[in-house]
Amino acid sequence: MKYLNTLLSLAVLTAVSIPVIVSTSLAAEPWTWRATLDGASSGQPMEMPTALHIDAERQRYYVVDSGGNRLLSFTREGGFLHTFTAEGKLQIPYDLVRDDADLIWVVEKGRNSLTSIDVKAKAVITHVLKDGERTLVPDRLEFRNGTFYVIDKATGEIALLGKDLVVKKWISCPECSTGIVDFKLTQDGIWALDQLDKKVIRFDGEGKVLKSFSVAQNVEFPVSLAIDSAGNVYVLDRHKAAIAVFDPQGGFKYAFLAKGWSRGELYFPIEIVFDPWGGLCVVEEGNGRVEVFGR
Amino acid sequence: MFFYYRIIIIFWLVTVPALAAAAADNVCFDCHKKEAFSGKIVHEPLAKGQCSPCHNPHVAHFKGLLEKEGAELCYSCHTKQQESFKQGMVHQPVRSGNCLVCHEAHASDRNGLLKEQLSATCFTCHEKMPQKFKYTHSPFAQGQCYSCHRPHQSVYGQLLNDEPDRVCLSCHKYEDLLKGHVNYPEPPQGCLSCHNPHGSERKGMVRNVLHAPFAQGCKECHEQGGKRGSTQSCLRCHEAVAAGMLARHSHLTGKEENKCVACHSPHAGDEKNLLKGSQLHVCRSCHADTIARYEDKLYRHPEVKAGICTSCHEIHGSNKLAMLRGDGNAICTRCHETQGKFTHPVGEKVMDIRTGQMVTCISCHVAMGSDFKYELIYSGLKDLCIQCHKRY
Repeated sequence: MKYLNTLLSLAVLTAVSIPVIVSTSLAAEPWTWRATLDGASSGQPMEMPTALHIDAERQRYYVVDSGGNRLLSFTREGGFLHTFTAEGKLQIPYDLVRDDADLIWVVEKGRNSLTSIDVKAKAVITHVLKDGERTLVPDRLEFRNGTFYVIDKATGEIALLGKDLVVKKWISCPECSTGIVDFKLTQDGIWALDQLDKKVIRFDGEGKVLKSFSVAQNVEFPVSLAIDSAGNVYVLDRHKAAIAVFDPQGGFKYAFLAKGWSRGELYFPIEIVFDPWGGLCVVEEGNGRVEVFGR
Repeated sequence: MFFYYRIIIIFWLVTVPALAAAAADNVCFDCHKKEAFSGKIVHEPLAKGQCSPCHNPHVAHFKGLLEKEGAELCYSCHTKQQESFKQGMVHQPVRSGNCLVCHEAHASDRNGLLKEQLSATCFTCHEKMPQKFKYTHSPFAQGQCYSCHRPHQSVYGQLLNDEPDRVCLSCHKYEDLLKGHVNYPEPPQGCLSCHNPHGSERKGMVRNVLHAPFAQGCKECHEQGGKRGSTQSCLRCHEAVAAGMLARHSHLTGKEENKCVACHSPHAGDEKNLLKGSQLHVCRSCHADTIARYEDKLYRHPEVKAGICTSCHEIHGSNKLAMLRGDGNAICTRCHETQGKFTHPVGEKVMDIRTGQMVTCISCHVAMGSDFKYELIYSGLKDLCIQCHKRY
């Protein structure tokens, strides 16, 4: 009877501890390199890529090769597909989205334009964005439910524009001494990054600040952020060439990656994006590539 | 009875080692002349005749038989300072752990064990700063740097005691300032925009170089009603800058309506670009981390040492990485002409096997600073080469 009790206790202990051990080990699984999107297969290396757009439906990556004045597409596995130059018309493209009507919209720094590209019709139309007298300087770009979300670099605010490109609303961070440098749309709102204050700000869908937290202790020069499915905030540090991870409340969890030129290392990274397949994609301006990490 | 014995034993246990240590330390002065360690102010351990808190009498890893090196030694007693000296903007010698740049270790005739009079201590490093002006601010003339600055760290730029305007108002009454700024488009604020806090060649310590529109009045930039000029109002005259603002990377940043005033004074400056201080100071106001990271490197490019960021960086905007003035070859070969012709192959036909990118000077060198000779990224003995030449 005595042995039976001991055996039962051990069995219960094992049953309880196994899921804990398994979940702990899974959570601690490190990020590892999975694929690289580069320009080699196109016959020309990428020169200072600045943005990545993911088309989940088509299972495609689209990379903005800013220095090469072109857009490149890749398969989900990282295989090169096409180069698109808009017949040499692009001038310093910086970011892009694809809207629900299959138009490609590109932020062109060189023309200070949000340029629409209809690939089938071979039509490239530049649009200089205005809000009354003010000329916007578009920077980062997202599109959702018929609305363009554009960072105006001149103000550090996010402009919400309809498909007619009329500004409907501005989202700004009243508590930031500088402006917003990057943002990501989530189901329940917008997460934004204030570069010089080194602060993450969460807005609701209407642009009201819900919360903010400082990342200054762990980050030197934040340039981009991404949010995982658990609500953890990943902040890309351009100068440290690393990613710092914070829980949804702003508690620092860990940092990973380092400066370098070899596979799995970063040099002047500029944007991070989660893909729908569990990958964390880092656009590296300095190394002319996009590296995809997984765990 | 047993109780009294216990007290005596505890007393001996406590005092005998202390007395023994003091006696042992005093032995030091049998050889080292005590007069050499005297002054109005004597470092507390030394005043108690204790040398061993810092020195090991027999053997040590560090020069002077010191137990630890640099600030680490000081922080073993000054523990509170260790934490507070990491906050905000930190004075370079503090960040480098070089306490002895300003302080004596043993004794001094000045408070805080300072090496020299306060201002003389400051001028030891700040040697380029003029010590006299035609019109000199009285605290500066009297060497009272602490009136405005903190010596170790501050949450305010330039290690100021407070926000710049509040520092001024700690001595100057606002009512007096109003009298001196009659008919100005805005109530006086941003004192440093026009005045040099140390002195200048102009009355009222107005900075030496006046912005032409400011010299002619206020209306050129300030619309009626006192509204400030926008970025566009600057670019009306400074057209060349506008192109830079539309580059891939630009300093068109911040929430201020006028971006230019983040770095430039719209009114007066100490040099023709009307910068709000030295280049290093202006750049540091946003890029403190970057400057701190390279400040203590063993090898630094002379331009970096001199704080002339614009030698290599296009400050308003650039399409190149790190807002450089050219690509990683062009930027260096402007000065290093020979290396542009006879060197490790670089240029468009030579690709870095790690990234597929063009090999440039900055594939191997980091001009901002490095702990390796010639500002190499890795040791030039082997580590650097095997990055690409795997069979080396």
